[in-house]
Amino acid sequence: MIFGGSGDLAQRKLIPALYNLALQRLLPAAFCVVGTARRPLTDAAYREELRMAVAQHSRTKPLNEEVWRSFAENLHFAATPDERGYGKLREMLDRLDQTLGTHANRLFYLATPPPAYASIVRAIGDHRLRGDTGWARVVIEKPFGHDRESARELTEILHTVFREDEVFRIDHYLGKETVQNILVMRFANGIFEPIWNRQYVDHVQITVAETIGVEERAGYYEQAGAMRDIVQNHLLQLLALVAMEPPAAFDDKAVRDEKVKVLRVLRPITGDLVATNAVRGQYGRGFIEGVAVNAYREEPGVARDSRTETNVALKCWVDNWRWEGTPFYMRTGKRLPKRSTEIAIGFRAAPHQLFSREASEGLEPNALVLRIQPNEGVSLKFGAKVPVQGIRIRSVNMDFDYGASFMVEAPDAYETLILDALRGDATLFTRRDEVDQQWAFVDPIIDAWAAAPAAPPIYEAGTWGPIEADLLIERDGREWRKA
Amino acid sequence: MAQSLAVDTTFWGARVLGVAAVERELTRLRRALVAHAREQGLAAARASVLNLIVYAEREVHARRAAKSISELALRHPSRAIVVLADRGAREDVEARIEMHCHLPAADGATQIYYEQILVRARGDSRQRVASAVIPLLVPDLPVFLWWTGAPPVGGPPFGDLLGVTDRLIVDSSDFARPDLALPSIARICSQARGLFGVTDLNWTRLTPWREIVTSFFDVPAWRPFLDSVSGVRVGFAVDMDGRDIHPSQALLFIGWLASRLGWRPQGALAPSEAGGLLFGIARGDGTPMMVRVRPRFERGLEEGDVSGIRLQAQREGRLAEFVVKRQPDPRHQTSTVLMNGEKRWERTVPLPSPAIVELIGEELAILGSDRTYEEALAALVRMS
Repeated sequence: MIFGGSGDLAQRKLIPALYNLALQRLLPAAFCVVGTARRPLTDAAYREELRMAVAQHSRTKPLNEEVWRSFAENLHFAATPDERGYGKLREMLDRLDQTLGTHANRLFYLATPPPAYASIVRAIGDHRLRGDTGWARVVIEKPFGHDRESARELTEILHTVFREDEVFRIDHYLGKETVQNILVMRFANGIFEPIWNRQYVDHVQITVAETIGVEERAGYYEQAGAMRDIVQNHLLQLLALVAMEPPAAFDDKAVRDEKVKVLRVLRPITGDLVATNAVRGQYGRGFIEGVAVNAYREEPGVARDSRTETNVALKCWVDNWRWEGTPFYMRTGKRLPKRSTEIAIGFRAAPHQLFSREASEGLEPNALVLRIQPNEGVSLKFGAKVPVQGIRIRSVNMDFDYGASFMVEAPDAYETLILDALRGDATLFTRRDEVDQQWAFVDPIIDAWAAAPAAPPIYEAGTWGPIEADLLIERDGREWRKA
Repeated sequence: MAQSLAVDTTFWGARVLGVAAVERELTRLRRALVAHAREQGLAAARASVLNLIVYAEREVHARRAAKSISELALRHPSRAIVVLADRGAREDVEARIEMHCHLPAADGATQIYYEQILVRARGDSRQRVASAVIPLLVPDLPVFLWWTGAPPVGGPPFGDLLGVTDRLIVDSSDFARPDLALPSIARICSQARGLFGVTDLNWTRLTPWREIVTSFFDVPAWRPFLDSVSGVRVGFAVDMDGRDIHPSQALLFIGWLASRLGWRPQGALAPSEAGGLLFGIARGDGTPMMVRVRPRFERGLEEGDVSGIRLQAQREGRLAEFVVKRQPDPRHQTSTVLMNGEKRWERTVPLPSPAIVELIGEELAILGSDRTYEEALAALVRMS
């Protein structure tokens, strides 16, 4: 069941993901998709619309017509403009259960704009859309609430129909291969974990950089800003994965228990700390990949005097035994010079400088970089002797390139996550207490910014953000990586 | 016009649309190479130790640079981003940027390859070039910027690209106006403040000359003469009719001596015979002396290359002469020491090849700033 079944998300991500799962023979034998939307549409028209979408957005091309035909036979559409529509939907689901023998196992996917979540959940309850016999799960897209309070309310509403273990809050970053690989790197190898602490790690940098501007999402983005759009979910989840203690088991409870422990000890940035540890910015005009682009305030749907931040840089502390004294720097933004998501672990320098200053001029501290996108991989930077007479040291990179090593294309994050939800594995989804802690961290910063008299500083599109963001890290004698 | 707009795709690779497409295409090519190598039981490595941005305003320079880099790929596997920009603004050409990329095999070896990207900037693209180049840099690797002409003073794209550069490489050998260009490089050096290093291939060409001159004074008996140099003559090559005068290399040598020995300018710089220059200098102890830089026609030399050096020194009634010449041919150096006109010692050593490839190869091995060079340049600028 996809609510918002003909919307942007369904067309670009969900249906292509399901189709690719079908292609890999990963879907259950008895399986069907029911999409809903307010406007009426026949099954045939719905299938045709989705066929075009899959042909365009699928990661595998061209479209396999045979597979699509059999997949499309199980695509249905129900219009839900009002209460009566939900009544018909219920009949439709019962009928499909009978013919397919799906035992009333149902996965509800909320792919509508967030304001509709509450009423849909209520309708699922009121019209008893979850079957009487099978399991029911609900997948809910971000943003989950717009602050701590509203997130709690939404969870309460969900809990009127679903148990917490039936709620799958999706953060598609967690579905990415390389994000899962953070856990494998850390906990399947013997060599990293012993140095993964304050004694060896000087600092950590997490970057989520986009080159795109606000595109067609101005309506949402104006209200959200980079803080709610990226920091509250993706960045904090990445931080939790990097900083967490080893879980006792690789299951949804143990992994999420450890993540939430990190989020709980994240030192709050409140009061005066906002000015020193948090920087925001908004993009002005500039150039991206050689093309002139507009300022944020010139984008359609954006207020001429908008104070929405499109760039955030933070300095965070994880107040626990492992990380005391090791800062975590995070930055994200739109209209930055390149698209790049990565985590860089910066290590301390060797304790004693054996080589002359001149010899080691090209030497930088060791860094382990987990590249999440693009060019998924891992690289380790270390000093090596330049092959000339005498000693001259240069930093070199040892590179592991996912694509070139495994020679297979990684599945899309949505394929991974939908399959997990169908299987009932919630490890890669965000639990109630995690969301709560994430909001608890960002809310005071957002409030402080809203109350500040000044607008965010403007940075030129195609640069790494306002000068204040550089100062945030340079004050500590460090610098942002050349990502 | 139409001809100048065409890009030779057999040399520069297929055209791709945008930075993401460049990465995808290179990944695709890389995978194909890896697969091919595996079939033959070999391993293909992506070895990249640096980013090299080449900025050129003429296709012939861009091509020559790309060829040099491919020959260096075994020593310095790199990602090379060659920027070919239209000279100045042209109103009839819309400002836009095109990209081409491929993986040329390095020097005939199939296991190592380097990544070559052409960024073709048309029309007045000064403002936008950097925004296309910066996202193409491989993260975390040092960035070398090889500027093939005389570097402009500030402004885009030079200033923008310099902001991401670890080492700027220029070549003063063909600067038309060294009297303007060398001071502007000196200014760039003074702005660098440890953020990036600067070097000049002409300085690299001087390395064997500096080595050999230094080695004279390693000899204990000759060392004292270094403090009593009474005259210097440096010859540099010109063509037969002596029209193209490129004294930068010879001048850098003078600057080097001045900075090492604490010489100061005294009196104005005077033009000398046939395009040469005459410097009035005060030695470290204040004694005045003359330094002469003069053009000479010599077969087999590139214009501007140093052809010979003569240092005279007087001490305790003895006249010592330290002479370095390209003898018996331009690929050898012969150094001679004369005492009161009598030959005391002579030695011939090979002179390393001055090919651009070798010079660039040298420079790519160094990352930090070259203080000796910067001081030599500063001393030279003070004298002129």
